[in-house]
Order: sequence, then structure tokens, then C-alpha cells
Amino acid sequence: MRIVAIIPAYNEEQRVKAAAEDAACFVDTVVVVDDCSGDATFDRALEAGAHVLRHVVNRGQGAALQTGTEYALRELGADVIVHFDADGQMQGEEIQKVVAPILSGEADVVLGTRFSKEVPKVKMPLVRRVTLFLGLLFTRVVSGIKVSDTHNGFRALSKEAAEEVVITLDRMAHASEILDLIRAKKLRYTEVPVTIRYSEETLQKGQSSLNSLKIVKDFIKGQFWG
Amino acid sequence: MMFQWILIAFSVFAIGKVLKQYRSQKISLHSFLIWALFWIGVVLVALRPSATDEIAELVGVERGADLIVYLSIVFLFYAVYRLLGRMEEQRREITKLTREIAVREAKKKDS
Repeated sequence: MRIVAIIPAYNEEQRVKAAAEDAACFVDTVVVVDDCSGDATFDRALEAGAHVLRHVVNRGQGAALQTGTEYALRELGADVIVHFDADGQMQGEEIQKVVAPILSGEADVVLGTRFSKEVPKVKMPLVRRVTLFLGLLFTRVVSGIKVSDTHNGFRALSKEAAEEVVITLDRMAHASEILDLIRAKKLRYTEVPVTIRYSEETLQKGQSSLNSLKIVKDFIKGQFWG
Repeated sequence: MMFQWILIAFSVFAIGKVLKQYRSQKISLHSFLIWALFWIGVVLVALRPSATDEIAELVGVERGADLIVYLSIVFLFYAVYRLLGRMEEQRREITKLTREIAVREAKKKDS
């Protein structure tokens, strides 16, 4: 089984190397997609020993994930695709846990969740908690899929699922789109608790809570003109 | 009166422009016909403005001028919708192009 981690990265020269090296311990190949960063993200990722792809125009995280997925399927013959973040919020060792249901054939898609009874409550700013809850509600109504964490970037997909789940929403709404596709394509999915470490730095760099409105807008646009 | 003549002159100019574009194959026969018809309509209305009142009455709008404004708004909304759709299409094409370049030029440390 060839497991490939896809790491979309935008201006992550400080953290991408560590994240790629961390992931590399638990997968066969790491693919970093540099989404037209203005810094040395590309070189740092190369140093980490990853396959590095570069978007010549910034297209957003969703687009970067899809680029990495197509490369992994077409050029690397991947059997399992793992979505991983460049900012060090995720733990590489948890990849094993996330891919396990796919390796055992229990699920086609595994979604990481921050909200699970099995793991202690994570420290999270209140605004973010509320925003995530609203996102959950929106997804439940629109996509009709019941998950505990809609915008967790830690995922794993089997080869077959990755071929079906084609992300067309370039920016952040891709997370909702993936859930939508899981339902539309009738894929078997399961959730696995993961630890996301928030730090001052990553919170600043990460999505502002206001961005969630933009996600809703992009998603609706996708439904109209998709 | 003055306004009518300006309108007619402009329409004739516009028809000439469209015809030229069609001849140099910049636009399709389809869009040539649509635009030509549109500007011929403008000329006809300019020549006989009262005609719009008659048409307006036919469809239940009080004044011809109002009818024209209503139709224009509907047309503009439609045009904006089409334009947004076209933009979305272009966004997808740019992404596809960006993706293709990225995959072709993928790099590894030793390559």
C-alpha cells in the first residue's frame, strides 16, 4: 500500500520543513504543493525530501490539495491519500490512526475530528468554537451529512475515493465540498479523533473566523455555477 | 428631435461596427444577428417613439418608456448572471492550467 501525504503550503517557510519531515516518518511519499508563496517555502520543502509542486498562480488550499492528489494518483500510483497541514498543527504520528480504517477496508474516507469524547477537550478560542459550530450546522442542513468537525484538514482517502472526490472549489469551501461529494458518491466515511495544536502564531496565520462567511459564499457560488 | 437623430446615428454606427466584426470573423453569425436586430429595433423606436407606447399597452405597462426600462433591467440582470458564470468558468480553467504546469514541473531533491 502506497501512502502519500499531500501538504498544501502558502508562505510557510518557517514550518513546512518540520511538517513535511514529521509526515514523512509515517508515509511513503510526501507531496508539498507550494501555492505560489512569496517566500522560500518551495526550497524548504525540497530540503525536507518531499516532492514539491508549484502553482504559478495562487489558487487556494482546495486547488492545492487537488493538484497534489492528481499528482499522487497519476505519477506516484498512490493507494491512500492523506491531507496534512504545513503549519505544524497536526501530529505526524496520528497519520497511522487516520489511515487505519482505510487499510482495513472499513472506510473509503476518514475525517479527522477535534471534537470527540475520546480525547480531552482542546483549548480553543471561543470565537473559533462558535464559528465551527455554525459551520457544522450549515453543513448538516446543506450537505445533509452528520460529522462532528466539518473543517478539519486532517483526512485520508482511498485511491478510489480520491478519484471520485474532485475538488473544484479552489479556496476554503473545499472542506464543505468534500463532505458534499462523500454523500453524493455514497462513500463510506468515519471520523477519527486527532489533536490539533493551536499556537499564537498559527492562529494568526490560520483562518480568521470572519472567513467562514467567505466559505459560505464560495460554497453557494459553487452550487450555482458548478 | 435632436435626441432621436443622435440615437439613429449611433445605431447606424453600431450596426456598421458589428458588421465589420462579423466580416473579420470576430463574432459568430448568431451574435451578429442578435446585435443587428437590437440596433435596428433602436432605429425603429427612434423613428416612431409612439410605437413603444402601443407595445407597452399590449403587455399591460402604462408607458413605452417604462417598458424599455423594465426590459433593460431584466436584460442587465441576465447579462450579469452570464458574466459571473463565464468568470467562474475561467477561474476553473486557470486552476486547471496552473495544476497541469505544477504536475509537469514537479521537483524532488535529487532531480
